Amino acid sequence: MDDLYKEIILDHYQHPNHLGKIVGGVEVGEVNMSCGDKLKISVKIKDGVIIDAKFEGGGCAISMAAVDILLDKVIGMKLVDVKKMSGNEIEKMMGVELTPSRKKCAYLGLEVLKKL
Amino acid sequence: MKNYKKLFPIFKNNPTLHYLDSAATSLKPQVVLDKMMDYYQNYSANIHRGLYPISEKATTEYEQVRNKVAKFIGAKFEGEIIFTGGTTASINMVARSWGENNLVKGDEIVVTVAEHHSNFVPWQQLAKRKSLKLRVTSYELEITKNTKLLAINHVSNVLGTVNNIKEIIKKAREINPNICVVVDGAQAVAHMPVNVTDLDCDFYAFSGHKMYGPTGVGVLYAKANRQLEMKPDNFGGGMIKEVTTETSTWAEGPEKFEAGTPPIGEVIGLGAAVDFINEIGMKNIMAHEKELTDYLIESILKYGRIKILGLGISDNRLGVVSMYSDDKQMGTSHDFSDILGRKFNVAVRAGHHCAMPLHTKFGVETGTTRASIGIYNDKNDIDELIKGLIYAKDIFNCIEEGDKKFYG
Ligand SMILES: Cc1ncc(COP(=O)(O)O)c(C=O)c1O
Repeated sequence: MDDLYKEIILDHYQHPNHLGKIVGGVEVGEVNMSCGDKLKISVKIKDGVIIDAKFEGGGCAISMAAVDILLDKVIGMKLVDVKKMSGNEIEKMMGVELTPSRKKCAYLGLEVLKKL
Repeated sequence: MKNYKKLFPIFKNNPTLHYLDSAATSLKPQVVLDKMMDYYQNYSANIHRGLYPISEKATTEYEQVRNKVAKFIGAKFEGEIIFTGGTTASINMVARSWGENNLVKGDEIVVTVAEHHSNFVPWQQLAKRKSLKLRVTSYELEITKNTKLLAINHVSNVLGTVNNIKEIIKKAREINPNICVVVDGAQAVAHMPVNVTDLDCDFYAFSGHKMYGPTGVGVLYAKANRQLEMKPDNFGGGMIKEVTTETSTWAEGPEKFEAGTPPIGEVIGLGAAVDFINEIGMKNIMAHEKELTDYLIESILKYGRIKILGLGISDNRLGVVSMYSDDKQMGTSHDFSDILGRKFNVAVRAGHHCAMPLHTKFGVETGTTRASIGIYNDKNDIDELIKGLIYAKDIFNCIEEGDKKFYG
């Protein structure tokens, strides 16, 4: 097994839990990265708490897996707390250590959520 | 196949390195490093107006390179060679020193969609500043009488395609004899013979670091009559004739565009790089790289599942090969190049290679994985690349029966 492309990462990349878009009464964050990755996240918020979230976009396996893992985590959290999250926490959730260039990929999802 | 790796000290220090990123920058041979070290250790004086021996020596060495480069690219006069910081600096100089002063509102600039950002953005911005028309073309250039400037690459840094510049310029001049043609030669000079006089271009730009020379130095060939139409826009020492508190006059020739202390050691290193290329011989370089390029393309096609942007095996291309997979389950160029580097020490490049409009046109927004050939490569480097690509298939659960014979 590869030390970066672990089963959890591949699984979230190839079979994401939160792919799609929520319609109606939602907020949307979006980025286009210079590397070509594109990501749009739609969230449903009630009383400051994220009750549902989905993403659309395309990008490398690391960025797409990281978003899916992140959305697993943030559903049920207060948006203000999500905005306090750090990149390190994402690496912990993914269970891998990333090189500086791959950190950019993995932090993409959090960057979008912080725009909300 | 001849082994040139031993001429490059980096392979002594990284014996397992498979370097397939020469389009980004080439590795440096020992002779270039020695030449630069010689300058820094034995005569590292500033040039011009130092009347002591080591300054005279530095000046002579520096100016000899101008002559060497002129011969290397077939310029008529050595004064047509301006030293710059690189291709990007050269093209920006054309935009600011020539374009700014010779184009007027309504004039048209034509660029191809396959340009590197450094031969695209300067024109886009110039067009904005001066209300010029900018037309980006794909196949037919469609030059009109109103097209005052054409900016085009000699060899694409994504597709590897060699543009028939001589023919293109000839046709363009039939429509508008005075059209100014700016050629981006960054990917050409180290891999094929270039003769700017024969091409009949007005400007030709390239970088030292992509031709086995150091970073920080490049060349702008400016045809004599065009150079007279340029106005300096970078001012300081070295480029003046006379300065009073009221006004200044400029030096004649290329010095006018080389304000300040130039990259002396780097220019001298560039001279050694030209010698290095001449010594191996362009014929030998082309034969070596053609054999490897064909082998690379063949291996990729055999591997399957990966497509090549642009031409397959052809005499109209050089060893820059960009590939991508349509399969959404197989990762992007960032995954591929990460895997290749981390697991196989194969160095390739991921992304858009500074050519976003071209990737958009081909519908590969997430980028391509680019392998590019230099004189130090051998077939083993390519075999390792393919092994790495098969390993990537394995990771993404896309391994096929036929792959086993490559990799076990
Ligand atoms: C075709 C082409 N043009 C321009 C450049 C820019 O060269 P530099 O970064 O040395 O200025 C490059 C290389 O990156 C290139 O491949």
